[in-house]
Amino acid sequence: MRREFALLSIILFVVSVSLLVSIIAHYIYIPGINIRPLAHIYLNTTYNLVNRNFTANSPEAVTAIVWDYRGLDTVFETTVFYLAIIGSIALGRGLFKFSKSSGETGLSIIVKSVSRITTPMIVTVAVSIALHGHLTPGGGFQGGSTAAVAPLIIIIAFSQYFLIERGISKDLMLVIRSLGLLMIGIVAITAYFIGVFTKTPAFVLQNQAKTVSPVSLPAYLGGQLISGTLWFFNLAEFFAVLAGFTIVILLLVIPERAFKSDVK
Amino acid sequence: MIDPQLLVLGLAALSSLFSVIAVYLAIIEKDLVKAVVFSAIQSGLYALLYYILMAPDIVLVYIPVAIGLYPAIILILISKTEKVEKD
Repeated sequence: MRREFALLSIILFVVSVSLLVSIIAHYIYIPGINIRPLAHIYLNTTYNLVNRNFTANSPEAVTAIVWDYRGLDTVFETTVFYLAIIGSIALGRGLFKFSKSSGETGLSIIVKSVSRITTPMIVTVAVSIALHGHLTPGGGFQGGSTAAVAPLIIIIAFSQYFLIERGISKDLMLVIRSLGLLMIGIVAITAYFIGVFTKTPAFVLQNQAKTVSPVSLPAYLGGQLISGTLWFFNLAEFFAVLAGFTIVILLLVIPERAFKSDVK
Repeated sequence: MIDPQLLVLGLAALSSLFSVIAVYLAIIEKDLVKAVVFSAIQSGLYALLYYILMAPDIVLVYIPVAIGLYPAIILILISKTEKVEKD
């Protein structure tokens, strides 16, 4: 009874606060549904074939902002995520000497069959989200975190030995993750080194040509729009995030008996 | 005829209201597994809210992280400790 009363009062509180905010908002300024001036700048420049001064050649303004206009922020975000993964690996060091327990592992045959069908679908959608990140909503992090659900489902439905027996170990994931980060770094400084070798001014994390520096990475590859650096950043971030999440899940599902026998 | 925009905003208001209820239930629930499920329900409603507020990029990262990875990791952690919260 007391619980229902608390639930009712919290609903009433939320409704009354919402009502109050609505009434107050009627008398003060509320942002309209028109496009704001800042959004105008981005929407005008993100895919502008006429005025190429500040364009990113990507119809997806969010990915253009994340990897081009504010590219340095995202590079450091990726670094922070990398450090978090390094920390969790450091906590679980020396914990990989355990053997498979005898008998049937994983969940029932129904769950396994459903997982066999859905896991490839999840990976397909994830790759689509990541590789179309410069055209439609999505990007490297979105695609990578979607793809990380697939190893999670495999671990829960089939047990972690299913992955380990097929070579998907912590070390392989760490290699993939480091390669992804290396690729992000290389793509970030490509335009700068083109500028160094051709004796023209260019910037780190530059994508398309600006008024002060004519260096421009190819926006089209074989007739397909890849938006210069954006496609490569999304691809590298996809693998980095997928491998990072997989490492954490692999570390978390280690049975405790393995750890205890290792300590003795 | 109801204005479609009003209908969508009403849906947003309803989902935010239900998300508050889900948060409340997740906090007071003593069974931690049920609490994780309530938290995932709240995340699903938030994903709907993000979609209504026209942020599809956030929806795409919120659904796998907040409904897939986060409850699964918390459930793995709960399976290594006790399933019921004690006073």
